[in-house]
Amino acid sequence: MGMTAIARWNGKTWKKISKGAAPYLLVLPVVLYYAAFWLRPVITSVIASFTGAAGQFTLENFALVFHEEHFIAAVKNTTIIVIFSVTLEFFGALFLALLIDRKFRGSDLFLFLAMIPMALPAAAAGAMWTTGLTAHGWMNSLLGYLGILAEGEKIYWLVGSDAKLLTTLIVIDAWQVIPSVMIILLAGLQNIQEEVKEAGYVFGGDYFHVLRKITLPLLKPTITTAIILRLISAIQIWLIIVFLFGFSRLPVLLERVVYYTKEVRGLYVAGQMAAGYTLVVAAVVSLAALVYLQVSGAFKREEEQLT
Amino acid sequence: MATLTLNNVTKRFGKKVVAVKDFSLEVPDREFLVLLGPSGCGKTTTLRMVAGLEEVTEGTILIDEVDVTDLPPRRRDVSMVFQNYAIWPHMTVYENIAYALKLKRMDKKTMDKTVKEAAEMTGIAELLERYPAQLSGGQQQRVAVARAIAVKPKLFLLDEPLSNLDAKLRVATRTELKAIHDKTEATTIFVTHDQSEAMSLADRIVIMKDGEIVQIGSPDDVYHRSVNLFVADFIGTPPTNLMDVDLKVENGDCRLVNPDFDLNLSAENAANLKDHDKKTLVLGVRPESIVLVPEEDGVLAAQCLVSEPQGSHQIVAIELGDRMVKIIAPSDPRIEAGETVHLTFKQEALAFFDKETGLRI
Amino acid sequence: MKKTKKKPVNIAKAAKTTIFYIFVVGVMVALLLPIYFIISLSFLSTREAYTYPLPLVPALKTQFKLEQGKRGYLLSVYDRVEGDYESVLDTAEPEKMQVYLKSQLATPMTMEDIEQQIARLETEDVIYFTRRRNLLGNYQTFFGVAGFKAVPALIRSLQICAMTIIISLSIGGMAGYAFARYAFKGKDLLKFSTLFVRMFPGVAIAIPMIKILVGLNFYDKPIGLSLVYSIGNIALTVWITASIFMGIPESLEEAAQVFGGSKARAFLRITLPLALPGLAAAAMYSFLGAWNETVSAIILTQFNPTFSVIVYQTVLGAVGQVNLAAAGGMAMAIPAVIFTFFIRRYIRQMWGGVTI
Repeated sequence: MGMTAIARWNGKTWKKISKGAAPYLLVLPVVLYYAAFWLRPVITSVIASFTGAAGQFTLENFALVFHEEHFIAAVKNTTIIVIFSVTLEFFGALFLALLIDRKFRGSDLFLFLAMIPMALPAAAAGAMWTTGLTAHGWMNSLLGYLGILAEGEKIYWLVGSDAKLLTTLIVIDAWQVIPSVMIILLAGLQNIQEEVKEAGYVFGGDYFHVLRKITLPLLKPTITTAIILRLISAIQIWLIIVFLFGFSRLPVLLERVVYYTKEVRGLYVAGQMAAGYTLVVAAVVSLAALVYLQVSGAFKREEEQLT
Repeated sequence: MATLTLNNVTKRFGKKVVAVKDFSLEVPDREFLVLLGPSGCGKTTTLRMVAGLEEVTEGTILIDEVDVTDLPPRRRDVSMVFQNYAIWPHMTVYENIAYALKLKRMDKKTMDKTVKEAAEMTGIAELLERYPAQLSGGQQQRVAVARAIAVKPKLFLLDEPLSNLDAKLRVATRTELKAIHDKTEATTIFVTHDQSEAMSLADRIVIMKDGEIVQIGSPDDVYHRSVNLFVADFIGTPPTNLMDVDLKVENGDCRLVNPDFDLNLSAENAANLKDHDKKTLVLGVRPESIVLVPEEDGVLAAQCLVSEPQGSHQIVAIELGDRMVKIIAPSDPRIEAGETVHLTFKQEALAFFDKETGLRI
Repeated sequence: MKKTKKKPVNIAKAAKTTIFYIFVVGVMVALLLPIYFIISLSFLSTREAYTYPLPLVPALKTQFKLEQGKRGYLLSVYDRVEGDYESVLDTAEPEKMQVYLKSQLATPMTMEDIEQQIARLETEDVIYFTRRRNLLGNYQTFFGVAGFKAVPALIRSLQICAMTIIISLSIGGMAGYAFARYAFKGKDLLKFSTLFVRMFPGVAIAIPMIKILVGLNFYDKPIGLSLVYSIGNIALTVWITASIFMGIPESLEEAAQVFGGSKARAFLRITLPLALPGLAAAAMYSFLGAWNETVSAIILTQFNPTFSVIVYQTVLGAVGQVNLAAAGGMAMAIPAVIFTFFIRRYIRQMWGGVTI
């Protein structure tokens, strides 16, 4: 009798414990996975950035980085790219998302077609643009057919001033990236009840007024999400740049990391450079993300939800 | 304050779905008009066409004699209360109400006054600085109403504004809405599927089914002079009792015969029916027009199935043939299940319907 | 009943609609132009790929002119842009002609056919003939040449994608479900962790990962790559699955429990079937990420590359074979595009739930 009472008590308590523990148990695999496969390499990397050639703790890697010939250019280029890219991509994606949200005939097909650039692998995209933008590539061919370019005249897209290269790059990157931003914004738009917008129209607003005063404010959390994801990725851009211009022509922060990891040969301090730059990238990304989250009120929103 | 005219308005979705068929209606100034019907009858679609939220496939809509069919909502001088209120969650109650006023470029003082007036009229004056998420359902509904009246539009459009409220609040708000209508002297179009709501609020009711108008009339009209079986069954709680009867005409006298009773018709009713060519009819009698009488006066006797006491009266259900017939009787004496009751019909309240077409004779 | 004039307004409306659609089509064309070109490029013969300006549409046939040349037979090809025949090959050996026809012009001809044409020259000075182009030539070459490497790499890529999906959906899906259904300490941390993980450059992680994978004996093996791909993928999967589960009302699970069942059973019998389309879309999303990933693959494989690596190498090495690179890129893009077609209906389910 006593035994069954104890067993029952244990059973009930066990159920209560397991019920409360359920979410933590469900999340545990993720935590373990990250600890094993992300945290370890990250810590290794961080340690490496503070490790000198002889294995000692040092800050000289960063000194090397700051004095590297392309450091300032890398910082400048990355900054320019991030600011213009994210802006262009956001507005382009918003435009497309708003267009698709109008649900016109064929908008479903339009959505599918607009998503295609997202599906392209880096190599295919790289091939596409490099073949396109060489002097006898399809871009110039097309312009020739359209009459914009005179016969035999060619625009050299891939060489020239930094400004020119940056512009080309930003446009190309935007083309590739806009779909992934667009679908996040579109999901957010579709979550806004139609009637809330209709009320705006009934009470005097035209399309742009409703957009400005009702749709966009309600879209704010989605916008924050889309931008922060894009911001983090934009700071780490490098592959498309290397495809188009090769290494060192238009240096950016992460391109320097890859350069010193794989590309450069015989440089004694290559490893340290790579490690140093890695931490610089991580620091810049984290800082930018935190600043953006703070400015956009993401943390404040969390507090509001908790109270 | 305006008149509304709909001329042969039709709404088609795609090629096949016709939501509203050839809808024509004239609404005079200051009328409280209710569009009533079951789900899917097209009443909301019609309202949305008047608001400008749906495109009109065919026909025209005129507000105050001006063709607004192709005008966007903001140019029609209408306001609307949506079924789920659609108040803007990111704005305070004040800002919600002031939205339209700001767009009209009202100066701050007048705007402030107007907002406060509207808030007073709907009883939310103390809530002006709150956000919708902090309000109860009933309060949110009032904000939607306040927002609509602040604009002082030509037409008020209300799309089932009371559906999401609990029963008690619904009845209370119903009265308030009518009071507001009277005070603002507005022309109001009110959509609902609740016939008791329609009956208590409307100056005129437009009953719709499957996209078409079935009957237009005052509450009295649709109640006592239902134009067909559908209306007779739809209006009234409990609805009209419908019974199949045979019409027997014998030298000027009319009788209605049915397995459970044999009813001699009054002279008026007989005059109405004696030339009717079909012999099977549907008899419609409202619950309050069936009276409990002593045995010798009764036309039919039946056993009570269920009795629902309502305080002021009781609803007695009996079985006639294969149908359930409900009677409204005074609460005294209390009828118990199983008791035999004797009934007769009030001749002046009888309605007769053709069995095939459903139309009233 | 008053009927007012409607005609002028209708025309204005029709005009506005037409302009809108023209605009939409215009945007579409501008967006898809690069893709059009690479598709076109993948069908071009090598010779076509290097003319300037590039032909807008690949030729379906090649028109030939054959006559006596200095060294033997002079073969000319009709150039659409120039509007005339252009000499391409002057040789006495039919074998060389055959090779040239196949590799440069993508118009293979059998030896009998070539000799037949050459024979005609005995009676006439100049002969003309037309042969159909092999549009899929580049694709065949790509799988043929890179081929003995391409097909195993393709299989490997598919394995990796499958494993990544399984790992991400199971691990990430559990956390996503917890996020959707429970309130718990650290929930916000979980949400932001998706961002943290992306803040450290994947390229930099890959190098130390070599060591870890070698230690586990997973280096240069599909499972190793799956583990690495899943790192970034799990983070996104947590968000997406959380969003999907948030879209399924908890009351459905509660109803199942009321009728006698544990929460787990309710999940398996009720929630999971309902979530299946959304989860399928999430799986395809993961597929896309794993399928397209190139850089990590380069670092973490040596003798067993993935398909994306093969394509990448072909692109880089494709000096003189731009159309070949295009074909490889296109081959790689096809499954991705197919999955994108499916995903488009589930965007709201996947992204509409979790926001920062």
